[in-house]
Amino acid sequence: MNPTTAMYVAQGMHGLAYGMILFLVASGLNIIFGMMGILNLAHASFFMLSAYFSYQFLSMTGNFWMALLLAPVATAFFGILLERFLLRKIHVLGHMGELIITVGVSMVILAGVKIFWGTESLPLKIPPLLMGLVSIAGLDYPVYRLFIIALSLLVLAIMALLLYKTRLGKIVRAAVSDADMVNALGINMPLVFMIVFGVGTWLAGVAGVAIAPILLVFPGLADQMGMDAFVVVVTGGFGSLSGALIVSIIFGLLSSYGVQFISQFAPLLMFIFMAIVLAIKPTGFFGERE
Amino acid sequence: MTNKVFKWTFWTVLVAVLAIYPKLFGIYYTNLFVTFAVFAIFSVSFNLLLGYTGLLSFGHAMFFGVGGYGTALALKHIRGLALLPAVLIGLVSAMVLALILCPLVVRVSGTAFSMLHLAFGQLMHMLAYKLRSITGGEDGIGGFPIPSFGIPGVISIDMRAPENFYYFAIIILGISLWMMWFFTKTPFGQVQVGVRDNANRIGYLGFKVTQTKAVVYVVAGAFAGVAGSIYALFQNLISSGALDIFTSFTPVTMTMVGGIGSFLGPVLGAAIIQVMEELTTRFTEQVELVVGLILILVILFIPMGFMGLIRLLRQKWTVHSARTANPGRTS
Repeated sequence: MNPTTAMYVAQGMHGLAYGMILFLVASGLNIIFGMMGILNLAHASFFMLSAYFSYQFLSMTGNFWMALLLAPVATAFFGILLERFLLRKIHVLGHMGELIITVGVSMVILAGVKIFWGTESLPLKIPPLLMGLVSIAGLDYPVYRLFIIALSLLVLAIMALLLYKTRLGKIVRAAVSDADMVNALGINMPLVFMIVFGVGTWLAGVAGVAIAPILLVFPGLADQMGMDAFVVVVTGGFGSLSGALIVSIIFGLLSSYGVQFISQFAPLLMFIFMAIVLAIKPTGFFGERE
Repeated sequence: MTNKVFKWTFWTVLVAVLAIYPKLFGIYYTNLFVTFAVFAIFSVSFNLLLGYTGLLSFGHAMFFGVGGYGTALALKHIRGLALLPAVLIGLVSAMVLALILCPLVVRVSGTAFSMLHLAFGQLMHMLAYKLRSITGGEDGIGGFPIPSFGIPGVISIDMRAPENFYYFAIIILGISLWMMWFFTKTPFGQVQVGVRDNANRIGYLGFKVTQTKAVVYVVAGAFAGVAGSIYALFQNLISSGALDIFTSFTPVTMTMVGGIGSFLGPVLGAAIIQVMEELTTRFTEQVELVVGLILILVILFIPMGFMGLIRLLRQKWTVHSARTANPGRTS
């Protein structure tokens, strides 16, 4: 493989890995929004929280797999607390209150993280199994990024099975189109909301653990990912999972090729893409509502 | 009659207190007050969108920052520019930004409006951060000359003295506040409230909903620009930090704490937040924790903000006293 092609392929894989992580975060955000109508501005903070949890579990147990398993669950627990004790209480006030209270929660999480872990970047060690490079058709590629892609695909498959093959999935899909009606049919919607919120934050948690070894763990982690995830949800269309998947991958590729060719303005590409999409179709790629 | 007397007394006392404030409290609190005034105007301009038109913007900092950058860049590059034109340039640059954005943003409302602003705000922040040759990035533009205020040949007041700057800032911000208040009292302001409450009905009545939103949007942007411009002059520095997400959330917090429903709510909110920040920085560096907790508690327990709380208490009190005064009548 000649160097130019190798560069294109390597950047493509990088973009794919980032796009899949982005999708994990954005899909959680999107499921919560689609069902409950809440745009959780603290979503990225949960993503960051999970990265810190994984650091904590890793330094306590020394086992990466343990951290990968436990950190998202711990994050989901906090997500459920947020839903149960804050969002449910103010649901009657409408979306404005919900939006703003999640801003408050994200501030508190940021401050909490700074108090417990300090402001410096913390490194996360990956297990020897995932270290090193693998050679694919003459191209050396880090195993860990392939692992990220595989992990995301696994999570995606689990989510798809849950959504389309189980009773809970059926309820969730029904609730996305009309939550009040599902409630009227005698299904315990508050419980379903709680589960969905938990699953959504769990997804963000998985992404947080997966990205921690690449980016290091620091308080600014939430800002970048949060922004990207919101842009994905807005551009892909609120409440549309396939839209989120496609746009995540486009953004992943845009950012990795952007860094390669116009490194200084790479972060702008995404916003320009979004502005163009929204100018043509204000509801986003696949969205039907605003 | 007594009402009128009360009103005049109130205004006289207010002006007198503001006039002797720097003498009473010294430099530190004078500067604190200027910061408060800047953020109060910023929040009131934000509330023109949120409280009066029902548009929640998460990117209001872009007008603030652009206003600041407009003034700073003008003073840096145009030699001998006077003070008021510099502020005016800040206002106009924020206004131009609002004019560019409004065809795109006034078509949407609700969550999409908020998110679009989050994105545009972030875009502007990124631009200011990356275009180092123009904006100075994170270090910003500092040390630009602050011109004296005055009529050539008659009088000249040095604006580098904090006390003089205090009077200048208070007057400019006071005029802005009055203009925004006047704006909401015009018939157009009433249409604006109508758009918030029921956009469809206002449309049927023959008013133009989209255009109304656009005008409010531009006015709100322009006054945020004035606030930013004064802020840049006050600090003698403007950096990309003035455009970031936390600056955007500042008026959201202040308005929510003070109360969305009233004109002076954001001013009260700005005062409360300023005092809280001032108090917390003495004990801890975690200002975000305190602000976040205040925000959560306010929304949980007093969703109408402190102004709403005051109104509620006054209502209860007046109803109660009316009952005791003439029993038998309940309202």
